[in-house]
Amino acid sequence: MESVRMGELVVSATDGDELVAIGLGSCIGLAMVDTQAGVAGLAHVVLPESGSAGGPPGKFADTAVPELLAQLERAGAVRRRLAAVLIGGARMFAIGASLDIGARNAAAVREQLGRLGIHVHAEETGGNRGRTARIVLGSDVSSQLAGGERTSLLSLAGRTGAITGAVRGLAGAR
Amino acid sequence: MYNDMQLDALRELANIASGTAATSLSQMLGREVDLQVPRALALPLADAVDAAGDPSETVTGVALPLEGDLEGIVLLLISDEGAAILCRLLGVEPGSDVAESALGEIGNILGASYLAALGSMTGLNLLPSPPTVLTDLLGAIVATVLAQTAGDCDFAFVLDSELDVAGEPCAISFLLLPAGGGADELLTPLGLAGTTA
Repeated sequence: MESVRMGELVVSATDGDELVAIGLGSCIGLAMVDTQAGVAGLAHVVLPESGSAGGPPGKFADTAVPELLAQLERAGAVRRRLAAVLIGGARMFAIGASLDIGARNAAAVREQLGRLGIHVHAEETGGNRGRTARIVLGSDVSSQLAGGERTSLLSLAGRTGAITGAVRGLAGAR
Repeated sequence: MYNDMQLDALRELANIASGTAATSLSQMLGREVDLQVPRALALPLADAVDAAGDPSETVTGVALPLEGDLEGIVLLLISDEGAAILCRLLGVEPGSDVAESALGEIGNILGASYLAALGSMTGLNLLPSPPTVLTDLLGAIVATVLAQTAGDCDFAFVLDSELDVAGEPCAISFLLLPAGGGADELLTPLGLAGTTA
């Protein structure tokens, strides 16, 4: 299991790999996958905009989304086939009425995805509870509340396996 | 970042302040409370979460934003088991609404006594706001606090003290997280600010 911590971003093309962002509060776990290419990536986004602030590209929505896209493309993904899943963006504390970072994070990630023409397949955001975002390559993208069950949001048990199976089937018939 | 002398001074501030908090907790519970040596940590955000504990553990968090001369948050982290023990010692049913307000009250008392001691040593006016109590993943609680206090900094600064209720598996992790990721406001009155490398 590869842990994707605050501000980090991980891409994998290895079947069975598990990418996990544990304990997303106001942060967003952004999963982007190209099922056909068998490539997936997860970013743990902390804040909407980088501005003058420092930090790794995965930390801010406006730098994380382009960076995740670039790394996925280098790993063989095709932009128009990418599906995005947003998890997190909760409002855990009633502190600071004007400071709903979770909602602002979700909006900023959505805006970046829209700008780059990346399809949002599913979203599990808002509320007041923490979540864990998990990608298991070849299986699915899921969200999980503390002490709860995993909710599968996107199946990755997809075409790659099916096509391989079909080709094998033909070879066997010959 | 901070040099050794600055970190030593901050640790000593935390030591004295959490000693005062431990005395208050002891009086409240009628039990002896032991204090571990505090840590003064300046870490990248991701490492700061790990330093606070296992991010996947479900814990009770009590958050008290600061008012006064220092911006930031006081955060108490208590394991499920520890929270149940505190409730039992206070004579309330764990998991009930009353339990939540009792844990909030522990936050109030610890926060107020810690900040009063810290204030008298530094000359700063430091007060806690009313507490928010929540039970969730440690990672989600700490990351959400860090996003607010140190989100736009490269490093998070954390003063971390641990209070143990004697004879019980009950530890309270007491964190002071100044906003801006820094502790310059605490160092200035000691004449130790401005020498950062």
